[in-house]
Amino acid sequence: MHNKGKGIVCITFISFYFILGMFSQTTPKFTFNKTHLTIKDEFNLSNNLKVYRGQIPQEELDPMHPILGTIQIDKAELRFTPLVPFGWNQEYTLIYKNTIEYFILEIPEVYDYLKVKAIYPSAKSLPSNLLKWYVQFSHPINEVHVYDYIRFINSQGDTLSRTILSLENALVSEDGKLLTVWIEPGRQKRDLIPNKQLGPVFEKDAMYQLIVQKDIKDRQGVSMQKDFTHSFQITNADRIQPNISSFKILPPEHNNNLVIYFEEPMDYGSTINNFKIINSEKKEIHGEWQLTNNESTLIFTPKYSWKKGVYQVLIDSSLEDLAGNNLNRLFDSEVSISDIQQLLIEYKLEFIIH
Amino acid sequence: MKTLVTFTITLILFLLAIVGYSNSSLKANFTTGNPKIMSINSMTFGPEGILFIGDSKSAQIVAVDLSSHPKVDNSKVKIDLLDKLIADMLGSTIDQIQITDMVVNPENNNIYLSVHHGSGTALLFRVDNNALKPVSLDNISHSKTTLLDPIAKDAKDKRGRELRKWAVADMKYTSNTIMVSGLSNKEFGSTFRSIDFPFTKEQNYGSLEIYHAAHGQYETHAPIKTFIPTKIKGNSHIIAGYTCTPLVIFSKDQIKPGVHNKGRTVAELGSGNSPVDMIEVENEGKRYLLIANTNRPLMKMDFSDLEAYEDSLTTPVTKKGAAVGVDYVNLPFVNVQQLDKYGSSGFLIVQRESNGNLALKQGNTWWIKK
Repeated sequence: MHNKGKGIVCITFISFYFILGMFSQTTPKFTFNKTHLTIKDEFNLSNNLKVYRGQIPQEELDPMHPILGTIQIDKAELRFTPLVPFGWNQEYTLIYKNTIEYFILEIPEVYDYLKVKAIYPSAKSLPSNLLKWYVQFSHPINEVHVYDYIRFINSQGDTLSRTILSLENALVSEDGKLLTVWIEPGRQKRDLIPNKQLGPVFEKDAMYQLIVQKDIKDRQGVSMQKDFTHSFQITNADRIQPNISSFKILPPEHNNNLVIYFEEPMDYGSTINNFKIINSEKKEIHGEWQLTNNESTLIFTPKYSWKKGVYQVLIDSSLEDLAGNNLNRLFDSEVSISDIQQLLIEYKLEFIIH
Repeated sequence: MKTLVTFTITLILFLLAIVGYSNSSLKANFTTGNPKIMSINSMTFGPEGILFIGDSKSAQIVAVDLSSHPKVDNSKVKIDLLDKLIADMLGSTIDQIQITDMVVNPENNNIYLSVHHGSGTALLFRVDNNALKPVSLDNISHSKTTLLDPIAKDAKDKRGRELRKWAVADMKYTSNTIMVSGLSNKEFGSTFRSIDFPFTKEQNYGSLEIYHAAHGQYETHAPIKTFIPTKIKGNSHIIAGYTCTPLVIFSKDQIKPGVHNKGRTVAELGSGNSPVDMIEVENEGKRYLLIANTNRPLMKMDFSDLEAYEDSLTTPVTKKGAAVGVDYVNLPFVNVQQLDKYGSSGFLIVQRESNGNLALKQGNTWWIKK
């Protein structure tokens, strides 16, 4: 009886696979990935394909709008490429001839989730008229309403209101990984109405946290796994312009690096690219710039070893401190026409290598 | 008589040829191909169906020729659940969609919407019979110019290119000139540029310094969110709406590269608010300024009031949230996210209605009256 039963099961399986084999010759095969779906159909390949967002029963499809994309047919294979890539964990419905199929692309088990790698300014003590932050992410970020995911909370855990200049078009670096966040200038700048009525965003001596909410997404539409928090304390407002006479240059000696010390932490974005070194023949010395020590020290590592001679460090006047004061003017100051004409575009420091 | 008719027809044909020639001169340097548009931050129409696209990611302004698009009747346009419709058409979710701008071609009232998708894809749609049709920008007649500073083109600024970004906030075309306002991700300040069109290799290109006075001793070199070129008492001016609320008027003749210009603050639109879009409409012989806002309703300002106001606001606003300066009327349209002129006296909006519906619809011209 036992052997007989085994035989029946075996025959059933063989019959099943035989029928399935027959069926598979006439049933189209669907495969999906992030950028396209393909249909292999040996008989009567048709471009009668529609793909919809969501898992939708056939009878409810009529008023729905199919996904935009292009169809390419090559021999027995049809390829549908959506206008934007398919989303992770997003359900889809496809109708091909008379077949309805549902599919979903699940986030891979090993997924490199978006993270905050660094934040500038990194110092824990910051001036009350601080003007901007930079958030360095591990991957290119999704820019849709990106500022909605940044907030500040006070020591009681309350979210501060009207803190960020909410721009429609996010300020993101070319590689998509560095986000610039402006503290609302109208509140930081003395005498403007938001400043008069709401006061500056941060109060002296108070503790705050900057939070990048985990709901912020990468370009694949996948969120971070946890919130990023950064604590800081507020000190006096900075109403002193950065002055190059206070910058100290340590010419390269034991190692190859040139080091410039500032008196205060500087703004990351406007510092990292506003310095240039030239030799006595006005030729630029190429190398890498690195801002360290809470953005108060700038290190230059040249591509090639230094030669003896006189060098100049050229500094763009738009170099800013944390409060937006630059080499030419305070962030909030009276600017007259004569001032404009007298302003320097570039400042110079000199050093000698013996 | 026959000679006269022949002469008249010949004259008409000649004039048409001249018009045709002069029109086509705007597109003389257009080429067909892929302008590689990576983002659409702002759009504005020029003449002859030329759409200007501000593309911050590629640091360029692209002029594309859309004159071949058929004219459609949008007089009864109404699209509900606009964000859901776009999400459906892209197979994505609403939180991955951002409508970055909406423009109407003044020559045929065709409506265009630019959309940013979270994957970093920029898309352009044309409204056709209350549906959205994608406009391919891969192979299109176009001309373009860079937004990089002339200085940035040399080695001096190459080191900063990977970090430096300049986001286009608003853009307008007037008399062979494109004016662009924007904000840098590095340094604070108003960046306002004037670029000649048609674009040339030797771009006449000015970065303009314009300021507005605050109410005490400090003046502001702040970013302009939205602006329009217009006439005030017959002379060319720019009306600019700043992110931190003042409405400021500049004389266009006085804005020149390298010259410091202080504008005249004519109104405060209330703190806690930022202008979104601004248009000029005309009805029954009177001109009106419409301003859409983040946290205030759609505002209507009478140009005759604007022209009559010759002061500059100098005293602080003492009442919280109060608006001062030129009078305006709040129209019953809140949460207007996009605004453009429709025809000579109408306006078109994308509005988040109180029930949550995001709608593309006409504003009633009834409101554009005294």
